[in-house]
Amino acid sequence: MVPLVYFQLLSAALFIIGLYGVMARRSAVLIIMSIELMLNAVNINLIAAASHREGWGSFVNFDGQIIAIFIITVAAAEVGLAMAIILRMYRNRATVNVDEIDLMKW
Amino acid sequence: MQWAWLIPVFSFAAVPLIILFGKYLPGKGSPLAILAILGGFALFWVTLFGFLNATPDTEGCQTGEETGALTCSYQRTWFEAGFPGTDNDVDKRVRLTWGIIIDPLAIAMLGLATLVALMVQIYSLGYMRGDARFDWYYAFHALFIASMLTLVLADNFLLLYVAWELVGLCSYLLIGFWFERPEAREAAKKAFIVTRIGDVGLLVGILLLWSQVGSFSMADAFAAAQSGAIDHGVATMAALLLFLGAMGKSAQFPFHVWLPDAMEGPTPVSALIHAATMVAAGVYLVARAFPIFVASGDALLIVAIVGLVTALGAATIALVSTDLKRILAYSTISHLGLMMLSLGALGYTAAIFHLLAHGFSKALLFLGAGSVMHGTDELDIRKMGGLRKVMPITAILFSIGALSLGGIPILAGFWSKDEILIAVNEHLNPVFIVLTLLTALLSALYMARAMFVVFYGRLAESQEHAHESPPTMTITMSLLGVLALFFGFMAFNWPGDYEGIGSFLFYDHPEGFHFTWWLGILSTVLAVAAFAYAYLAYVRKSYPLAGIRGRCSGLLKVVENKYYLDEAYQWGVDRVVLVVSGFVAWLDRAVVNDVGVNGPANLVRHLGVALRLHVTGHVYSYALAMALGLIGLAIFWWIQST
Repeated sequence: MVPLVYFQLLSAALFIIGLYGVMARRSAVLIIMSIELMLNAVNINLIAAASHREGWGSFVNFDGQIIAIFIITVAAAEVGLAMAIILRMYRNRATVNVDEIDLMKW
Repeated sequence: MQWAWLIPVFSFAAVPLIILFGKYLPGKGSPLAILAILGGFALFWVTLFGFLNATPDTEGCQTGEETGALTCSYQRTWFEAGFPGTDNDVDKRVRLTWGIIIDPLAIAMLGLATLVALMVQIYSLGYMRGDARFDWYYAFHALFIASMLTLVLADNFLLLYVAWELVGLCSYLLIGFWFERPEAREAAKKAFIVTRIGDVGLLVGILLLWSQVGSFSMADAFAAAQSGAIDHGVATMAALLLFLGAMGKSAQFPFHVWLPDAMEGPTPVSALIHAATMVAAGVYLVARAFPIFVASGDALLIVAIVGLVTALGAATIALVSTDLKRILAYSTISHLGLMMLSLGALGYTAAIFHLLAHGFSKALLFLGAGSVMHGTDELDIRKMGGLRKVMPITAILFSIGALSLGGIPILAGFWSKDEILIAVNEHLNPVFIVLTLLTALLSALYMARAMFVVFYGRLAESQEHAHESPPTMTITMSLLGVLALFFGFMAFNWPGDYEGIGSFLFYDHPEGFHFTWWLGILSTVLAVAAFAYAYLAYVRKSYPLAGIRGRCSGLLKVVENKYYLDEAYQWGVDRVVLVVSGFVAWLDRAVVNDVGVNGPANLVRHLGVALRLHVTGHVYSYALAMALGLIGLAIFWWIQST
């Protein structure tokens, strides 16, 4: 069995790449994609941890998998919502560059 | 007698009625004011006879323990403050009352004020006819006299102070009645501000007494002063502060400067101010608070000195003034000084008697001056002369007033001035009596000058079209003339119970009429000599005055410029008051406002400007903050767990 730490390293790498994308990208669409990356890094982490978990008697612990499925579901909804917001923004401002979208102050 | 409080209430009630409905009423509401004061005058007689028939058993009346003088007072509680519980059987509540006091002093003042106000208001019907603000004139008049009557009746210092300020306000309104004229505006402001300086003293004095006695009631304060419960120094302080208020109102040196300027108001107003209201209030206050002055003793001497300086200084200015109304104004100041001097010499009766006699005579003189103005539109006595020929009634009545104030025997002014001379002679240093006699001489001289120059001699050509005034004016003047002629007889022992005014109106013991022969004869000789000299100098022109003027030109210049007091005040205001207030204004702006108030506000604003830079509005910067926070939290948790 592949040791857990490799999965965790992969997950951390993906998360950091996603975080960098959120920070550094100017396009709102790419930021959404980076967020997806981060979410999937978390999913990998959860599933790896779940499959390496000791069972308790004859029961297998599915908690990690269940949470991962929840995250995928929520992420799908979130992407739909985020894309809708970005579309409205594009309609109003003719841009999706987050540098020019600074309404969230004061 | 319990209904005496209605005397001012009549006039108070007339004020809003005239202001609101005066335009629609006949005579623009003036009959309302006259009826109100007539009601007050009638009630004065009811009060007088009620008081004469009162005994110590009458409700609200009691005799003073030491003096045996009867005093009646009636109170209503205005409000109470504090906890109603008792502490060692002492009620700790502060109780403020509205009450009236009726004693000979109050009755004398009531009579003077209501009578003069009645005469002046009837006179004004003729004098103010056709004025654009006729209704306002009568409204202010009614308010003025109502305030004065309240002041006279007040049995506690608080009510007295309220009335005192109302009197000041009304004098401001009436002096500046013709506010279209800049001089009238300035005079009104001057009167208000100068008397305010004294009013502050009065207020502090009242509060000082309250802190000592714990009550605004005059009776309590006087009882404390007489029993020595008030420390001697505090009594002196309180008396001097009260006297400061009296100096402002009664135009005593150095606060006399407003009174001559107050001549800018309508002449009947001057008559009212000079005879019955405003300036009488100061003398009344000192007389009313006399127990405190007596308890102090030192304060009395200061009152006497201020009175003497005022009397002498104002008399000299009156002698060289060329404006008829200003001569009368300085004469008033001089006579108010005499009243103060008399009070300072323990001549309580003499002072009030002179206040009454002077009030009737001066009201008559002012109404006479108003009549002259009405007939000739002229006030400069150098342009007048021989008006006797065109205005005979005014001439006779004015002469009666002048002779009375000049101190010619059997007229009112002679007897009252004689009483003052006796009091000064008995109780003060000989220097005082010499200077008082000098003042009496000057007083006769300037009255004679005004009378002879205006009414006698050759008729000035420009005055040939002058005419006698309407009957409303001459009849009221005649009534005052009768009083100026015969009021002096109040001083005598009459057949019957009446034993002179000293047995009715006195401070510590009743006193019958008495007469010091050498003083009486001396003052008569001085007065007659003054009138004779003025007759020769101004009517016969047998004494050329140019020689005297030439010899005393330096002195004359100083006196004609009123001892440069107005200039000195102007200098003081420009160089001291404005500089100090400029500094205070700067301090207020720079320190209090900029540093104290705006400082913290500016600090918060700059901090906000600096802090808001981190709120960029960019999503990624918020995300960065979240990430950093999360990392920080993780590091913190990691450190803690190891």
